[in-house]
Amino acid sequence: MSVTFSAPKLETERLILRAPDLSDFDALADFYTSPRAAFVGGPQSRELSWRALAQEAGHWVLRAFGRWTLIEKDTQAPVGIVGLWHPEGFPERELGWDLFNGATGKGYATEAARAARDYAYNTLGWTTLTSLIAVENHNSARVAERLGATYDSDFTHERYGPMQLWRHLGPEALT
Amino acid sequence: MITLTGTPVLTTERLTLRAPQPADAPTFIEFYKTDRAQYVGGPKDDRRGWEFFCTEIGHWVMRGYGMFVVTYTGDDTPLGIVGHWNPKTWPEQEVGWVIFDPKVEGKGIAFEAAKAVIDYTWTTLKWDTIVSYIAYPNERSITLAERLGAVRDDTAEVPGTAYVYRHPRPTA
Repeated sequence: MSVTFSAPKLETERLILRAPDLSDFDALADFYTSPRAAFVGGPQSRELSWRALAQEAGHWVLRAFGRWTLIEKDTQAPVGIVGLWHPEGFPERELGWDLFNGATGKGYATEAARAARDYAYNTLGWTTLTSLIAVENHNSARVAERLGATYDSDFTHERYGPMQLWRHLGPEALT
Repeated sequence: MITLTGTPVLTTERLTLRAPQPADAPTFIEFYKTDRAQYVGGPKDDRRGWEFFCTEIGHWVMRGYGMFVVTYTGDDTPLGIVGHWNPKTWPEQEVGWVIFDPKVEGKGIAFEAAKAVIDYTWTTLKWDTIVSYIAYPNERSITLAERLGAVRDDTAEVPGTAYVYRHPRPTA
């Protein structure tokens, strides 16, 4: 018996962006249980990582948008999770990116985030996007810079601690 | 709108059991803010309640089964959630039940819904065994498990501090 939901599929030069599913669990759990997850509420147990993956799927149904699992075309492996994210308690809808272990340094976050940003503006008709980035998360801030985003304001998240809210280029700046 | 597909609907004499949907979120989150949620992972604030509701929906995607929202047939107001629960590292597959509003208690709703879920588990999902984990001392839930014919199994592995009630397999 298979239960699914109809998330759109996106494609970039090197990546397929598809709805998260159970086959992503090992790669996602390896990330969430590692010190690399310190900026996104981790490290956390494999059990909580499973719930986090279920949450990604549930977010799609509750909000009608969500984050996609990035599949590397060359290897068919899940290499990260990137997309549109608005859990309760976030100040605005955001563009979020997490790369799984071993997938950094290839520009995948930027490549996928561009596709997700285009989808938000061109398909959903959004007019702005933010990203919340933990203050010490310099790698993530560099992705935001590469996307043309700029620092907007400070925000303290009860679990993730002090964060900076970055604002992305709007649709008019990208045409 | 993005909805789950492939989720079953169960019906009983009075009730309809269907997959959770976005309109159920406020009732679920309000319940989880109260002390009534103390035996089922709560209380939780708005944020965690919302995230947990996401997990409830995502559980269906991950496992192919999950918790149903219980309503009176013909009235879509969510009364509670009853169904299958098996997050990673749960020792066994569980049937669980929650009634949101105390005013709905005492009418046999949880019993009627749980009985339908258990029947469905044996006949359609064909599980080998069913447990219910009940946090101590949730007397009301223990009473329901016993009414359903479940028996405490102190030899079973427990997630956290709970009693394990094992449901009897129907004799053919």
